Amino acid sequence: MSLSIIVSVVLGITMGLLMPEYIFNYTDIIIDFGLCLLLFFVGIDIGRNKGVFNDIKKIGLKVLLIPIMIIIGSISGSVIAGFFVGLPVNESSAVGAGFGWYSLSAMLLSEYSTELSALAFISNVVREILAIIFIPIIAKYIGDVESVAPAGATAMDTSLPIISKATNPEISIIAFITGVVLSSLVPILVPMLINL
Amino acid sequence: MGFRLALYLIILLIGVIIGSKNIINKKIGNSLDKIQKVCLLFLLFIMGIRIGIDDRVVSNFLKLGFKAILISILGIVLSVFLVKLVKDIVFKKSKEVKNCRES
Repeated sequence: MSLSIIVSVVLGITMGLLMPEYIFNYTDIIIDFGLCLLLFFVGIDIGRNKGVFNDIKKIGLKVLLIPIMIIIGSISGSVIAGFFVGLPVNESSAVGAGFGWYSLSAMLLSEYSTELSALAFISNVVREILAIIFIPIIAKYIGDVESVAPAGATAMDTSLPIISKATNPEISIIAFITGVVLSSLVPILVPMLINL
Repeated sequence: MGFRLALYLIILLIGVIIGSKNIINKKIGNSLDKIQKVCLLFLLFIMGIRIGIDDRVVSNFLKLGFKAILISILGIVLSVFLVKLVKDIVFKKSKEVKNCRES
């Protein structure tokens, strides 16, 4: 499965490089439709496993520890990386707080500096690609909850079908909750951190 | 964001309701699995096209690629590590319950 995922993404990127720009507008509609269809399937998977909601209820608010850890991990990881490549802490932490949502994080930083906005864009694109590729591998070799971590904010949409396929309905719900929490925090954390 | 979240939730819920109604037997379930896989790969292919078609990605990647890869890799590695650390705390209770059920 993970091999076919890598092949699809790489094939898509190569095709994209060769295609004229105007096709971009059509991909929006296809992605929206495809995503809705896949989320519907994820829903069916969850619905067929009736015990799941009880399991999540038992976990309770502790489930929020997962997005909290992803926030700390993503931001401190990017700060450490920034230290090596000579970025000030406010800039590197703001890029890390994009949590993979590249369009929004780049937009939020565009007023601050075009260069940093470009970095936020590209590093969060890379994060999404790495997430797509490594979610199945992490789920298999490290652990199922851990596979939610690379997805970051995309755990509620684009990465959710991959997490759902690689793990189980319980983790899918945790991933959705995590994605919602992280996505809501991107527009708050990025402006806050850049103004440190 | 608000609209998207509502849309995703509604779609997920419709799926959950249909899934829980036992309308779907094992045979349909298996073919659903295949459809799901094909849809997923197609979606990823289109997402790849979107990334590749964007001029900003290519030009910025050549300029900022190393920084970007370092930032995203360290972010991912630390997130995975920290989630692993709290995994036992998050799942402790439910696992104990499961073990009781089994024994």
